[in-house]
Amino acid sequence: MKIAVLVKEVPDLEVKVGVSDGGTELEVEDRNVLNFFDELAVEEAVRIRESGLAAEVYCVSAGDGRGNEAARRGLAMGADSAFLVDDAVLANADPLTIARTLAALVEREGYDLVLAGKQSTDDESGLVAAMVAELLGIPCVAGVVELELEEGSARVVREQPDGKETLRVPLPAVLTAEKGLNTPRVPQVMGVMKAMKVQVPTVELEELGVEAAPELRPRAYHLPPERPPVKMLEGEPAEAAAELVRRLREEAGVL
Amino acid sequence: MDFKLTEEQEFFRRSIADAVDRMILPRAAEIDETDEFPWDLWKEFSSLGYLGMRYPEEHGGMAADPVTCMLLYEELGRGSVGFAQSVTMNMLMGTYFLYRFADEAILERCFLPALQGEKVATICFTEDQSGSDIGATRTRAEKVDGGWVLNGTKQWITNGPLADFATVVATTDPSQGVKGLNFFLVEKGTPGFEPGQILEKLGCRGTVTGELVLDNVRVPEENLLGEEVGKGFLYLQEILNEVRCMTGALAIGIARTAIRDAVEYAEKRSAFGRPIGKYQLIRSKFGQMATELEASRLLVHSAASKIGAGENPRMEAMMAKMFSTEMCLNAVDEVTRIYGANGFAKEYGPQRYFRDARFLLYGGGTHEVLLNFMGKQVAGRDWRV
Repeated sequence: MKIAVLVKEVPDLEVKVGVSDGGTELEVEDRNVLNFFDELAVEEAVRIRESGLAAEVYCVSAGDGRGNEAARRGLAMGADSAFLVDDAVLANADPLTIARTLAALVEREGYDLVLAGKQSTDDESGLVAAMVAELLGIPCVAGVVELELEEGSARVVREQPDGKETLRVPLPAVLTAEKGLNTPRVPQVMGVMKAMKVQVPTVELEELGVEAAPELRPRAYHLPPERPPVKMLEGEPAEAAAELVRRLREEAGVL
Repeated sequence: MDFKLTEEQEFFRRSIADAVDRMILPRAAEIDETDEFPWDLWKEFSSLGYLGMRYPEEHGGMAADPVTCMLLYEELGRGSVGFAQSVTMNMLMGTYFLYRFADEAILERCFLPALQGEKVATICFTEDQSGSDIGATRTRAEKVDGGWVLNGTKQWITNGPLADFATVVATTDPSQGVKGLNFFLVEKGTPGFEPGQILEKLGCRGTVTGELVLDNVRVPEENLLGEEVGKGFLYLQEILNEVRCMTGALAIGIARTAIRDAVEYAEKRSAFGRPIGKYQLIRSKFGQMATELEASRLLVHSAASKIGAGENPRMEAMMAKMFSTEMCLNAVDEVTRIYGANGFAKEYGPQRYFRDARFLLYGGGTHEVLLNFMGKQVAGRDWRV
């Protein structure tokens, strides 16, 4: 079995983010990591290979000047190989363009199963994986917390607000990982060494014959409003509770 | 002259930093509190394979260059310093002389398992009357038929009470001072080799430090780790520079974690209507600490880079160790001030960094000894500025 993992390189969750004057440019500290949910997908893929049910795991990523770090992390965790599409055209790419790129790449390399994170932590669109499935003509189940391979299919569990849903999906399919699927490993030094030395092969967008969808151009950025200072309520619990209710009703207008 | 880390080194640093964040940092306070060696964490961390990284690949290592090793030590210093000390003991001091001089059987039995974390290693220099003054070592090694008999007591031994094997410094001729020193391998279970009193330390807790007693300990000939008798001090020079740089790197790690905590605190803590990070005197502390930290890192990396190039940067390594440690002591002091009274509370990190930092003053030579030596080199024109 060959497993393709779609990965994205995103800013570290603790980076400093600012908006330049005019609100037209986003300034993000240049510290990137493998998207958290994609990490779950890589981990799952490597575990499947380690259990003997798959022979090969490879990661694919597409972006403008981004992806190397994500690919290297995937390799350090145990993926056998990685491929990157690095093109300026992908800078403000519509998720559809990314999906077309990754689908073309995955089609070229071959797959029996495609794993991905349920969404990226930067734009959180959560669209690419489902679009890839559609382009490949295969089913997609998003937000998987449990995955078990069976003959020609996968038994997956998704968490819903009112309970758990178990599905059997024929393979090949696209499955996206939700928190709880596994705990990603801390890469061993051998993996880190291997990833350090590797030159991740880049693939030209042209080679894949992808037609870019119209670019998404952000019109404006706004920082979230400053949180007002915290007010500490004094007094005995009963008094403080009464005061809290008063404020929620009369000042905040939420009760 | 390229001061930048290579892309590979940056990737390596991020990887080890991530491992420290996930595995060690969450346990640091608890390790300090209980002062118990965290065996589970030891096994978990060892399984990552970093313990052997400075040794060649045929031993399961990475043949990592000294600068890359410094990156690891710096990140370890950010986590639990006590734990870092045990790790570095297995990585360097406790295993080096076996790697250098031991026969196949010893390598199989002690060295290779230590690189996997399956055995705990240590090295024994210090005694009651001798630390920096290693020439005053009293632990005696007498030649006997088929081997050696060792007698003496070692103090301040990191991992001592837990160690599966130790590299012991003993003199074959006290009248020779440093020229009488030798390294001997002594394994746990050897009759007469017993752990003594355990030291309760102010900081670097979680690593067990104590006495090791040698009472007519008999070891076979092959346990002399060296080609010739009396060359121990010379052999020590092979790693002394690296050990000093390593200490500097640990100091940088401690300082970094302290300063980062303080940055967060200064954002959240308000006084007189503003976050304290907006006041000049607090900002001045940050400016000063950051500058000194950068300087420390440059010194450590520069010295490490020279070691990697096959040079013997004795002065530079001393400077790196001394400067980084003093920088760290200043930084942890300033950070506790930024925290105000909270810098005095066990609930917060700074008091731990403050306590841990002090221990770095001693290993690799006290600053009084180092400064005396360095000053003599300068004044005696043996070192031109």
